[in-house]
Amino acid sequence: MTFEFALAVATRTVLAFSPLERLLQDDNQLSSPLTSYSRLQEGVYLFRHGIDPYAGGTFRHSPLSLSFFSTIVPASRIPPALLWTSLDAVGAWALVNIWRSRSNIQRSKRDLRIAAIYLLNPYIFLPCLALSTSTVETTLQLLTLMFASRGQSSLSLLTLAVLSHLSLPAILLLLPVLLLLLSDPLSHLASPKPFPQKLSKCVPLLVEFTVSFVTLALASTLVAGGWGWMRNTWGAGFLLPDLTPNPGLWWYFFTEMFDHFRPFFLAAFSLHLAIYVVPLCIKFQHDPLYASFLLLGILGTFKPYPTLSDPGLFLSFISLFPETYPYLRYPVVTALLHLHAFLLLPLFHHLWIGTGTGNANFFYASTLVFGLANGSALLDYVWAGLRVAIGEEKEGWVVTQE
Amino acid sequence: MRWSILFFFLSWRFSVTAAVEEYREELTLRPLVDGKLAAHFSFSTLLRSAVPRDPSSLGTDDTSQHYTLFPLALGQILREHAIPEFHLTINSGKWDYDRWGHPGEPGVGSGAELWAWMGDGTAVQTSIDARWKALQNSLSGLFCASLGSMDALHTTSPANAFLPTGDLPRLLAPARDAYTLRHATLPAERVCTENLTPFLKLLPCPSRAGIAALLEPHRIFDADWHGLGVHVRWRADRGVQLTLTVQVVLDSVRTSTERRRDWTLESLFGRSLPRSCNVASSSVVLVTLPSDESAYTLSPEPHVSIEGTWSRTSDLNIVMKWPEEERFSYPLNIPPLSDLSVRRTLKGSSQTHGELSVVVRNNRPVPVRTHYLETMPWHVEFFLHTLTVTCGDRGVDCASLLTNMTYTPSRPHATPAQLLATLELPPHETLHLSLRVRKAFLRYTEHPPDAQRGWDLPPAVFVPFDAPHRRIYTPALLVDLATPDFSMPYNVIIMSSTLIALIFGSLFNMLIRRFVVIEVDVKVD
Repeated sequence: MTFEFALAVATRTVLAFSPLERLLQDDNQLSSPLTSYSRLQEGVYLFRHGIDPYAGGTFRHSPLSLSFFSTIVPASRIPPALLWTSLDAVGAWALVNIWRSRSNIQRSKRDLRIAAIYLLNPYIFLPCLALSTSTVETTLQLLTLMFASRGQSSLSLLTLAVLSHLSLPAILLLLPVLLLLLSDPLSHLASPKPFPQKLSKCVPLLVEFTVSFVTLALASTLVAGGWGWMRNTWGAGFLLPDLTPNPGLWWYFFTEMFDHFRPFFLAAFSLHLAIYVVPLCIKFQHDPLYASFLLLGILGTFKPYPTLSDPGLFLSFISLFPETYPYLRYPVVTALLHLHAFLLLPLFHHLWIGTGTGNANFFYASTLVFGLANGSALLDYVWAGLRVAIGEEKEGWVVTQE
Repeated sequence: MRWSILFFFLSWRFSVTAAVEEYREELTLRPLVDGKLAAHFSFSTLLRSAVPRDPSSLGTDDTSQHYTLFPLALGQILREHAIPEFHLTINSGKWDYDRWGHPGEPGVGSGAELWAWMGDGTAVQTSIDARWKALQNSLSGLFCASLGSMDALHTTSPANAFLPTGDLPRLLAPARDAYTLRHATLPAERVCTENLTPFLKLLPCPSRAGIAALLEPHRIFDADWHGLGVHVRWRADRGVQLTLTVQVVLDSVRTSTERRRDWTLESLFGRSLPRSCNVASSSVVLVTLPSDESAYTLSPEPHVSIEGTWSRTSDLNIVMKWPEEERFSYPLNIPPLSDLSVRRTLKGSSQTHGELSVVVRNNRPVPVRTHYLETMPWHVEFFLHTLTVTCGDRGVDCASLLTNMTYTPSRPHATPAQLLATLELPPHETLHLSLRVRKAFLRYTEHPPDAQRGWDLPPAVFVPFDAPHRRIYTPALLVDLATPDFSMPYNVIIMSSTLIALIFGSLFNMLIRRFVVIEVDVKVD
């Protein structure tokens, strides 16, 4: 296991130093305006030269990233490549650990397969090669869930606070993470039962999260020298000032939006993202890890500035839930939709942006297919997660919903 | 300069008592090395001992205005908005500094450029931004130009590069920060007849007498390069001075059938100078003699000096000929006539990223220090960390030659970026500046009707330290931005919403409904 793992990481390290990075770095599907490495470098440059990086619209990273990359890691060629590769390795390790906690075993034959599915997932390693900071977010997401599965509440909540600070939509994971901390990560899909603990036990955890979140925000304000950073980082997710294409659903919608309807639909899209949290947590209260997994799928599909690593994380998580596989309704359709979108997205993006022979609708159509693929995967796993409890169908009987 | 200048006087009035208003007109004709001819018309009205209005008095009634020569329409604008100095130029074409040298009036950037120095008013209605907006609207009404679109997306304040050319009166109210510059360019604005007609109406002798009679629209707008300028400045010792300028670069080789560069006033402007303008205290035509060795003749004989009051009654038609030349042959190598040669290009075919490249060459044998000003609309974002400065053709790193950089980043959908730096150019050295830029994606309502044409970017400006009024403008650039499909708003709203509704609906359908196990009839074969 250790050898194979090391081999996979070594392969990534070699790839990280290949000339691929220069080709991929500014790809709109791998890094969004909120996660682009070029913009991070620009912010660090402005910060070092005494210009407020939040005065303009180019830099949208958190002040914490700013201070980290202007002091600890120089924004040159080799250190970031190593850092990103190790982040991915940590992510794979965290995913394997979540699996171990869920199946309640020390090691299994499945470990390597889970690590491989994560490390070889193109949606995960391409953004990593492009040095997109969405890799950092993915790793933090995995670490949050790993610590939560192990019951390490302080570490988990701190990681989640850092994560939500870097990417605000991730705060939606707070509720399932709290539930996970109060219960266990074991699979209870086959035997649904009401949540075993009192919800009031959440309160101290919630306070702990709030304290770390507010502390991070205050530290950022100190670094940035004012509150201006909030509008550029968190505000961007609500106001969508940058309409750079990405694989998500927001950018073309708000490019084509009538000006007088823009605030209404921005509010509708932001609220829509939050609307799934409580219903999913109620329905899957017996298995909060599964609820977190489904919420990752929601975020990957409906986030304001997604990159390929957001749906990639959801897809990598699938390997943790083998008990649901027999109950998937349309796995072939979903897989084909994903294949279709995976081939079309870069092709139509290049046709529109690179050669100028295609028009914006081509790429928009492929993002719709991608959205449909993510949505159908999500729906499949919601169905399968609920269906597991009924058990296998018998001859002459059909399981359906009333 | 080796050129000598000859004078032709149309009128000259010498009066002992200085009048309150004084009007002078002047035409400078300058044959250029590439066979073209640069004509610079200048109509200058001086309002003696007048003082610009103080912004603190804007709330109260103004003193009444009586002018005989100064245009009332413009005087009202100056008083209404308390403007001590402004410059408006609208140009068409690319001024070729290398072949044509420095122009008579430095504002030769393509499109419209407006800059004004204003004192701070005390009330909100009289704030600098409100008056800047009002000034644009008044001027666009007066000159039939679309200056009103110089909104916050175009406005910057590069005070170091655009110093006032006159004096600024002391403000009465203790203003917070005395005087502020507002500067905006519209590189896509074109100058045409509808701008010239109201322009001529501001002159005391509009197109009937004096030098203004030569401003025949068909000839002016047929020129290779043409531009109008309005310049108002105040000098403490003289008063408010209004200078209206017209600059044209005419090509006699192109219009002559024998491909010769001979010209007469009649061949250039379609008419000779009819008679002098009676209210002008001086009316002069100057001819700069060509610097090359070729033999030429000039008729009639120019005046050397004239004393007393003098006025011309007959037509004046200046004729300049190169009798030994069969036909004009374009010189192959013209040594650059300007202090700096600048080339600015936007490289890259992608619609998301590009590279801005600026090549500056110092043509003088002495080092030159110059301001370098880039104003960029928000839809082209600089990546300053990629800025490289190299010297010569070998690409030696010369980052130390670029100093004092100040940068105001752009805000999306709101304000432009402004980059101001100092360049130190060694003698006869070439500097290559390169910078990666990102091209933004606009909302479909932000695109102009002809979106596929691209966006004109304002010129970069170089202002040498030793000659601040000898600015050098680079040609404007065209940037190609990715366009959405303009027919799609409804379709996109419908299709995206359908997808979201489909996922939302199916998901809640599954969450809410209960699972049941139903017995089905087993079909009998």
